[in-house]
Amino acid sequence: MDENPADNVLRAALAGNDPGAGVRLLWDRYASDLLAYLQARLCSLHDAEDVLQAVFVRMIRKRHRVARARFLDAYVFQIARNEAIRWIGRRKRNPATGPVNESWLLSREGSREPGDLAERLQTALGRLPQSQREVIVMKIYRQKTFLEISQLLGLSPNTVASRYRYGIEKLRILLENLI
Amino acid sequence: MTNGKDRRNEPIENLLRKVRLPEPSIELKERITAEATRVWKQTSVELSWRIPFRRLVVSAAAAVLVIWLANVSSDYSVARWRYEALSKTNQQPSALDILPEMPYGSFARHLASVARELPATEASGLHQYVETMQELLNEVQQNNVSQPPAPTGGSRLLPEESRSNSYS
Repeated sequence: MDENPADNVLRAALAGNDPGAGVRLLWDRYASDLLAYLQARLCSLHDAEDVLQAVFVRMIRKRHRVARARFLDAYVFQIARNEAIRWIGRRKRNPATGPVNESWLLSREGSREPGDLAERLQTALGRLPQSQREVIVMKIYRQKTFLEISQLLGLSPNTVASRYRYGIEKLRILLENLI
Repeated sequence: MTNGKDRRNEPIENLLRKVRLPEPSIELKERITAEATRVWKQTSVELSWRIPFRRLVVSAAAAVLVIWLANVSSDYSVARWRYEALSKTNQQPSALDILPEMPYGSFARHLASVARELPATEASGLHQYVETMQELLNEVQQNNVSQPPAPTGGSRLLPEESRSNSYS
């Protein structure tokens, strides 16, 4: 994972002096995965977008460290995790900026499913422990394998698989009337 | 068994796949890339002087730490000699007598006893010390002139052991 040519290109860009190229490469590689991960973590698209900006700013500030990181993806996701934790802490200290009650799951275009399906799935996912929710979101909505998720989150593949299984079991109970 | 579990998971996975997560919007991309580029340029300017400055500060701090540690270590190692040894020297002036044989033994003992008795830091004491030394040297010279040198062994400059008592 860490030896692929894309890693080397990104490392070179981050260590170089071309901000446009470095930021573009970072965005293309990480934006979608990070946004999904942050939505799973924060259960809010709005918050996830704000934290995503903070993550990118942090990555740029630490770009020399990011370029030297042994496991690039794991390092980037660690930054995202830290920023999300910081955000949650700030939200707890300042209840005025509490979570916005918004949809972070959307119906697929052309879907004939009832409009409230996304809302019900979102509610059910929101009742899962965050560690199980983030694995399910990365597996289902980002099509990652257990191995890839384990590398992103710095966990063992077995841990990721068991979190997924437990999460799915709970969802089956929560959504049994929809299956 | 694993396949059975996978098959059990299929309905719930299919249900979850009926919805999707929103992708990053164009506006979000523009906003974040613009901010990230601004931060990149800003930190490039900061880094150009911060890195050598930080290195200088770290080097200076390391140097101060090393010097401080050396001082502490030095103070610790000489502390036991500082007061204890001086007081013992002043209290036991005859301790030199137990030293092994040394050349000019009686003369050296006499010098040591004179040095102990006089406070060397005072001008009057120093003056007295110099006078005593002059007398002592004169006596030694006179002894050398009046007595023939010892045939073998002993010192030619100093009197015999039995006569050294007269100096003290």
